[in-house]
Amino acid sequence: MSHGQSEPRGLIFDIQRFCLHDGPGIRTTVFFKGCALACAWCQNPESISPKPQIAWYAERCTGCLTCAGACPKGAILTPPGQRVDFSLCDGCGACAAVCPREALVSVGRRVTASQLLDELMKDVDFYRSSGGGVTLSGGEPLLQAGFLADFLPQAREAGLHLALETSGACRARDLTTLAPMFDLLYFDMKFMDPAGHRKWTGRDNRGILAAFTRLARSHPGLVARMPVVPGIQDTDENLERTANFLKKCGKQEIHLLPYHPLGEAKIPRLAPGLAPLELDGDPAQSLEKVRKALESLGLSPLVYEPL
Amino acid sequence: MNERVQRLKRAVQEAVPGLCPERALIWTRYHKDKQNRKKPRPIQMAEALSLVLAEKTIRIWPDELIVGNYTRRRVGGGIFPELHGLVQMSDLFSFPSRKENPLALSRADMARLAAIAPFWATRFLGARVHKSPRKNLAFLARQLSGTEFVINETGGISHIAPDYEKLLTLGALGIGEDAAQRRKAVRPGSDEAVFYEAVETAMAGLAAFGHRYADLARKMAVAEPDPARARELAAIAETCEQVPARPARNFAEALQSVFFAQIAVNIESLDNSVCPGRVDQYLFPYLKRDLDAGTLGPDQARELVFAWSVKFAEIVPVFPALITRIHGGLFNGQVVCVGGTDGNGADAVNELSMMLLNAMDELRMRQPNYTARVHAGSPPEYLDKIHAILAAGANSPALYNDGAIVPVLVKNGYSPEHARDYTPVGCVEPVSQGRSFSSTDAALMNVPLCLELALNRGRRFGSRLRIGARTPDPGAMLSMKDVKRAFTDQLGFGLEKLLDDLAAVERANARLHPTPLTSALLAGCLESGTDSTAGGAQYNFSGIQCVAPSSVGDSLCAIERAVFRDQRLSLPELAAQCAANFPDEDLRAYLLSLPKFGNDDPEADAWTDWVMEAFSDLLEGRKNTRGGKYTMGVYSVTVHEFWGRVTGADPSGRRQGEPLAAGLAPGNGMDRCGPTALLNSVNRLDVSRATNGLNFNVKFDAATLRGRTGPLALSALLSTYFSRGGMQAQVNVLDPKVLKEARDNPAAHPHLLVRVSGYSAYFNDLTPALKDELIRRTSLCAGRGGA
Repeated sequence: MSHGQSEPRGLIFDIQRFCLHDGPGIRTTVFFKGCALACAWCQNPESISPKPQIAWYAERCTGCLTCAGACPKGAILTPPGQRVDFSLCDGCGACAAVCPREALVSVGRRVTASQLLDELMKDVDFYRSSGGGVTLSGGEPLLQAGFLADFLPQAREAGLHLALETSGACRARDLTTLAPMFDLLYFDMKFMDPAGHRKWTGRDNRGILAAFTRLARSHPGLVARMPVVPGIQDTDENLERTANFLKKCGKQEIHLLPYHPLGEAKIPRLAPGLAPLELDGDPAQSLEKVRKALESLGLSPLVYEPL
Repeated sequence: MNERVQRLKRAVQEAVPGLCPERALIWTRYHKDKQNRKKPRPIQMAEALSLVLAEKTIRIWPDELIVGNYTRRRVGGGIFPELHGLVQMSDLFSFPSRKENPLALSRADMARLAAIAPFWATRFLGARVHKSPRKNLAFLARQLSGTEFVINETGGISHIAPDYEKLLTLGALGIGEDAAQRRKAVRPGSDEAVFYEAVETAMAGLAAFGHRYADLARKMAVAEPDPARARELAAIAETCEQVPARPARNFAEALQSVFFAQIAVNIESLDNSVCPGRVDQYLFPYLKRDLDAGTLGPDQARELVFAWSVKFAEIVPVFPALITRIHGGLFNGQVVCVGGTDGNGADAVNELSMMLLNAMDELRMRQPNYTARVHAGSPPEYLDKIHAILAAGANSPALYNDGAIVPVLVKNGYSPEHARDYTPVGCVEPVSQGRSFSSTDAALMNVPLCLELALNRGRRFGSRLRIGARTPDPGAMLSMKDVKRAFTDQLGFGLEKLLDDLAAVERANARLHPTPLTSALLAGCLESGTDSTAGGAQYNFSGIQCVAPSSVGDSLCAIERAVFRDQRLSLPELAAQCAANFPDEDLRAYLLSLPKFGNDDPEADAWTDWVMEAFSDLLEGRKNTRGGKYTMGVYSVTVHEFWGRVTGADPSGRRQGEPLAAGLAPGNGMDRCGPTALLNSVNRLDVSRATNGLNFNVKFDAATLRGRTGPLALSALLSTYFSRGGMQAQVNVLDPKVLKEARDNPAAHPHLLVRVSGYSAYFNDLTPALKDELIRRTSLCAGRGGA
């Protein structure tokens, strides 16, 4: 089936069916691997690296070490409490293939556009009856522009409603050419102050905000979203700057995403590029505070139903 | 729900369920009289029934508007000594003290009941199934072990939706008069004449039962200090003077007449699945007439409906531990069905349908078993109401799709008009209201056990005794064709044994337990002068349940992969692993990772479909002794849990002790891809083979269906599932947190209603194993956003 370079392949790490909170209706969400940012609160730390990785579930491992014989890099560690030397591991997946207990799992698989589409079309009846569709999330899907240029026209051809969840941290040209293929663009307002943005995500946000401003003029389906992490986004200054920016762009609506420490449990399983976040405050209270503040600043915030 | 209804509900929910000995004792006294035993059976039945109705304690409880007590207790059940009474009484001395479903019973009553056991020891139905005593003993041993199959019909038949419309139109005396007229046209002393005479007697007994309440209400009215209640009692007296003896003249009389008949049919036939059925259809004319005439206000009408609904929860079955393993949760399947179409296919939802849905939602009691029919033309407000109720966690009504069921009934011999007049009975089984005698719950077949036998030359694992067909050694099976052949041979062999026993049980029911009252309320019986147990009804079927098809389907899929494709191990090695309950944990993990039904995987789904096809093919062309077809049902009540304990480990990776798949659901915990994938899998099956209905339980975590998006998503899931031919669904929306609280501290949630297998039960009434199973199965993937 594989034709080498001829057919672009996307790197994804999960496909979740029956998602109710990634856009209207019943949706299937595709999680792309690789992100230009590394947000301190990232819920999907396995999404950051643009390469396949191995995750180790210590609780499933019986220590049989079948993996040691399969690994071509000698990256299997034997002491209790450790299994993978992530500095040697190149994520080839040979160990996961032989692991009898799914304790070693490949994170990231390459798919062609038609393979992905086949997977997504399984729930097409439910998209139709619910007004749902497909959401591309990640990671940052727009970093895989070559693949998307192949996939998106086919998905549109199939009549799928398409939504994108983006950080905006990608090449401006890719955003400009690919954005019109989506019905909905969920664009994250992670932090307004450039220095703070660099501190929390590892990158400056000037290009990101410029991209948002351009899209606000050209794309009717653009929706701002904000992760609400207690002690980070919920400061008065950040909220005020967010509100001013959005109003300047002619946008009133903003979706608020409650924080879950979901990502932190995943960190030890992967090459640990992140430290757990020391939370300052209660996520629910913070969310309510942000909602009220943004409302009084003239925006229409929509709180995602907490799961 | 107004205050009166709240009080009525509380009184019933707080009453301690108990065992009432009256039916058993009166029944025994009648039959101990040698003169009576010389009479023809139908006459014995009618006279014994009338005697019970004439002598049993009657009560009118405070606040009641609809009256009639099934037992002398507020909530209680009775013993049927001539049917399965001896089995019921196997817990006689432990009923009050047992842990699950305790039933109050005084020591004196215990002694009275124990004293009747010797009389029935040689007379109960199970003792007289086969003529040869040795054959009969073997039959009883099979029944008591209940491992290969269970024949429920040994405990009586019931499972009917009587023609209550006819009772309301003619009255019991009118029906009796009809029988008398017909008797004049047949030869005196003939079977027909005896049957008609029995109907006359039974109907007279039913009429007199109402009159006893009229007398009681009159007396109570005189003594009642509260003038308002005295007026109500006087009205009750007037109602009971009229019904069930004579035609109902208004809505209150119609409700009352139905409930009296409900009591009498339960006492006569068996207290299992006597179903009012399509109440919103046959009672609506009475409601509409009263509302239009202004003689009844909407609030009064609602109050009556609620008060009527509460009454059904007063009737509980008396199940010993032996039966609880099959039928957990004190359920007796009195189905009330709303919605659907009329005989021409036009939508039939009316004000009463909506009123009944409200009653169900607000009362949330174990009985009646509320179900709702849906079809392409169901009105949006009706569907929205149902989806909102379900998303909010009511766990009822169960949904039935006319689009799938009506064609199946027609294919099976119903006229289109009669097929469209179906109601589910029991758990999930569709019958035509007032026309079918379907014994839908005749028997349950342990299908995974047939695979165990196929993997061990007709023997149970670890046993040298062959109980199945003589199939080849697994080492000699060289392809899936051989494996499939061995399995169908075992299944055919087992079904043959089952049908042989069942035919004998059917004849025993006709011979020993005719049911003239029930028969007079089923079209065809009076016309033919034949009791329903002897095939007098217009439509006759017997339902044989294919239990756990997906457990076998997943196992066959695993054999094909592990043995013939991956060649990971040989078939004898795999069989040995199953026999030893998987000592090799790695192998088990591998087997569990193979494709499983319920995950939108065509390969796995095809195997479950094949199992259902093999089962229904083996029933094809077989007729019961009433001249009706044997039909396949796909539901398991709670026997999947019991059979999971006694059936050996299987190649799907299930260990002995873990439950089998429930109904049409995937194996326990095997569906991992969420509800859309699950529904795709179920829609892939040819459910038209399930002519006796199927039970498909889809469970959601409460969080998934919360808020704005939940009901919309549920509605989209169900409408897609049904538009693609889904037959039935029941939605359980449960919060695992709440369930765990209820398990650990039963007092915290005394009346938490859950859906088990086609019926509702209080969580506290379930066995610990069933509670755990429900908790395990409660969370399907919830949508999780990546952000």
